Amino acid sequence: MAVHLYLSLVPEALIASMLEPEEFGSYYAVGTKKKASGQAIFLEIDPDFRSKYLRINEGISRCVPHEDGTPKSSIYIGVYRVLEHIDVSALGKLYLVTKDGRTLGIDPSEDIPPLDDGLHLYKEIVPVSPLVASRLNPLDFFDLIVKNPTSLVTLTAIAFAELRLDELASNPEMGQVGDLPYSNMDHLREVLKDLKTKPVATKMVDRASPASFAYRTVKNGFFVGNESAMAYYPLPSSDELQESHYRWWRSANM
Amino acid sequence: MKIWLYIGLVASVVSIGVALYLFFWVKRQPPGTEKAQEVASWIREGAQTYLKRLYLALTIVAVILGFIIAVVFSFDLNEIASGQAGITPINGIRMAVAFNSGALCSAIAGYMGMAVAVEANVRTATAANESLNKAFRLSFYAGSVMGLAMVGLAVLGMTVIFLLTGDAEVILGFSFGASALALLAKAGGGIYTKTADIAADLVGKIEVGIPEDDPRNPAVVADNVGDNVGDVAGMGADIFDSYVASAVAVMLLGASANSLSVEYVILPLILCTLGIGASLLGIQFVRVGKNGKPGPALNFGTIITTLFFAVMVLALVLLSDINIGVLWATLTGLVTGVIIGFTSDYFTSEDRKPVFETARVSGSGAAINIITGFSYGLMSIVPSVIGIAAATLLSYYLSELTGLPGIYGIGISAVGMLSISGMIVSADAYGPIVDNARGIAEMAGMDHEVIVKTDKLDAAGNTAKAITKGFSISAAALTVLALFAAYAEVVTAAGIEVDMSLRDPIVVAGVFLGAMTPPLFSALTMLSVTHNAFDMIEEIRRQFREKPGILAGTEKPDYATCVGLAAQGALSSLVLPAFLAVGLPLLVGFILGPNALGGFLAGSIFTGVIFALLMANAGGLWDNAKKYIETGKFGGLGSDAHKASVVGDTVGDPFKDTAGPSLNTLITVMSLVSSLFAPIIAAFSLF
Repeated sequence: MAVHLYLSLVPEALIASMLEPEEFGSYYAVGTKKKASGQAIFLEIDPDFRSKYLRINEGISRCVPHEDGTPKSSIYIGVYRVLEHIDVSALGKLYLVTKDGRTLGIDPSEDIPPLDDGLHLYKEIVPVSPLVASRLNPLDFFDLIVKNPTSLVTLTAIAFAELRLDELASNPEMGQVGDLPYSNMDHLREVLKDLKTKPVATKMVDRASPASFAYRTVKNGFFVGNESAMAYYPLPSSDELQESHYRWWRSANM
Repeated sequence: MKIWLYIGLVASVVSIGVALYLFFWVKRQPPGTEKAQEVASWIREGAQTYLKRLYLALTIVAVILGFIIAVVFSFDLNEIASGQAGITPINGIRMAVAFNSGALCSAIAGYMGMAVAVEANVRTATAANESLNKAFRLSFYAGSVMGLAMVGLAVLGMTVIFLLTGDAEVILGFSFGASALALLAKAGGGIYTKTADIAADLVGKIEVGIPEDDPRNPAVVADNVGDNVGDVAGMGADIFDSYVASAVAVMLLGASANSLSVEYVILPLILCTLGIGASLLGIQFVRVGKNGKPGPALNFGTIITTLFFAVMVLALVLLSDINIGVLWATLTGLVTGVIIGFTSDYFTSEDRKPVFETARVSGSGAAINIITGFSYGLMSIVPSVIGIAAATLLSYYLSELTGLPGIYGIGISAVGMLSISGMIVSADAYGPIVDNARGIAEMAGMDHEVIVKTDKLDAAGNTAKAITKGFSISAAALTVLALFAAYAEVVTAAGIEVDMSLRDPIVVAGVFLGAMTPPLFSALTMLSVTHNAFDMIEEIRRQFREKPGILAGTEKPDYATCVGLAAQGALSSLVLPAFLAVGLPLLVGFILGPNALGGFLAGSIFTGVIFALLMANAGGLWDNAKKYIETGKFGGLGSDAHKASVVGDTVGDPFKDTAGPSLNTLITVMSLVSSLFAPIIAAFSLF
């Protein structure tokens, strides 16, 4: 049985596993007695990738089938500051797992989403998970966090998703909330208004935002990278998800 | 006029024949893929498990009550009073046979409805793969099996008894049998369905995050079975009960009124016969048009059936010696029934203010959602109560003006309202069939297109359900008013002067005790739901905990245990509510006397109707407020508003599907018990 390397983003960890991605997603979300269920996001890593900071070979060597022949589900290789030690070129598919264990794989894309002028909302996933509003588009936001040496808040690597603001992106005061499920909407409106009127690029919306969030709120996709490169994983449209990935989409909307 | 009894026999046999034809027509339709059939078989077996236990319980109740009735009615009170032996076993036996016949006819109608529903669900899902029209036709015809079997068996039973005995009081026994079953079927079904629904949702959706109708949920089959036992067998038995009770009340009033000839005794049977004809015709007009909307098709069926029936009654009045007051009273009942049904829809419809407002304020939390929904639920009582009051006054005075006893007119308006039950029940039974079809489509992994079509069919079923609830509550209100009058007549005939003045403390005590009963009954049935749901939640958690493969999709859950828990819990919870319905009126009657029992009935009718309307409408409103938010309003799924609305919906579940609908049956059973035992109470009461 082949051993896979998975980079879990929620929480951050590098895991060796003999399970295929869909099986791993199901196991990781619900197939453990430690926790009944929980959203998970992970990336498949090139199995040949090695890093001097991570004891990958040792982890793989310990990833052997159980005595009854069943595959080993997980061997944790690292649980902290993992993403920053992985080359973007080693990143494979991104897998989004629902609370009840249904897994959707999405490929990276060269096509960057259209960059619009409105306000933006970013859900940081790794290494920390605040909710941040910004005047910057995703690429500029990525650069600000990862590549801007003058910024007081700099990270060596980051994974984040841009979330939908819909009418609030252009009209924070009066825009319709529609199906945006964010808590404390009045505070969000205030933050967005501040961004329009004050000379700041980003503002914190929720510093203790929950790690899990509704996939349906993702505006365009997921951004993962470090100083040297960035990968973009576009989430298919809701219509496409409804048509082609109905079961996953239904679970994702619970 | 006796010819009408034979016409009634023919009409009832035709109605049962058409129901049987449709039953076998449904069974001949393609049953779908192997997987779909497997899923449907789980539901079918679950339904059969419940029905076996229900009918076993009913048999025990029927034997015990039948024996008591046979003994009690063997005593001839007049002969005993004059010092003679006074035992006529044949009287007791015929009353006991009538009682058991009523229970049996109701059970057969319920069984047919359930049997076809669990066959039609999978076939509807399969037909939806081809076209929405085909799926709609199949599910509606399957619903018609219940509607037509119900009215056919009711008219057959009542007519045969009257032909054999010529005594309307014996039909009271038939009606009591039907009501006893209705109480068990409706309250038991309501407890079953909500136990399964709440447990499945609380663990499945909230704790684990799996969607509705997901085969990984161990309670999913019990939930789908619950739709059938609550909404097919339960609602069918409920309307069967009101249908028979309204007819027998008017027959008794007709028999006791010296000014009326015998044709007014059998007039309810004639109206029921015409109603069968109107329903058979109306069903032919239920078709999804080019716009593909099932909801308007069902509503059109109800309206056209009403019109057919009105024309038939007009023709009857014009072509015979029947008083024109019968037409006015019938029209009053019909129009009121339809109006109340549709106004109930106002308070539960997603595009109206009550639901919109409840959804809008949900962002402020569950408490505000509940307060708002409850307040609109209270307001929803107003149009229905005004409708019932207007129907009471109009039918009374229009009848008086034309020379009929006013109270007889009130009874006729109830019969008029219920005469089109064939159509009403057909539309109502359609709901759980398409609901199940959607569940099977999900569980069997059918195409997304099938799910979209069954969703569309399901939405129409929910509207039909809301209308039927308003209709059945209003009909029950008018029925028990007629039964109340019939009770007074029976007591008077027993030589007791009926005086229900509120200046009499005995009567006041009766009113208070009666007013207390529906809330107490509601509490008992809802506590049964929470108690049973608690047990089932533990079972679902246990299965998830001990078998991690269930959630991973590699292991099949144990559906049967959850089905068994729901069935056992529902039936064992019925002992106290059943005692309230049968035992309490007798206790009040024997201890406090017939006048106090009259007050008791009056109190129970008023709070019963108000609680039934409140619970049905508030529950429906909370449910639809949640659905409205789920369409993407006020934050949509997962928002704070949605979380609050889920709490409101869960609170409303036992309101609208357990306690609320059972109250009709409760007040009918109490009125029937009182009327049936009135002569004995009059003879042996302490006061």
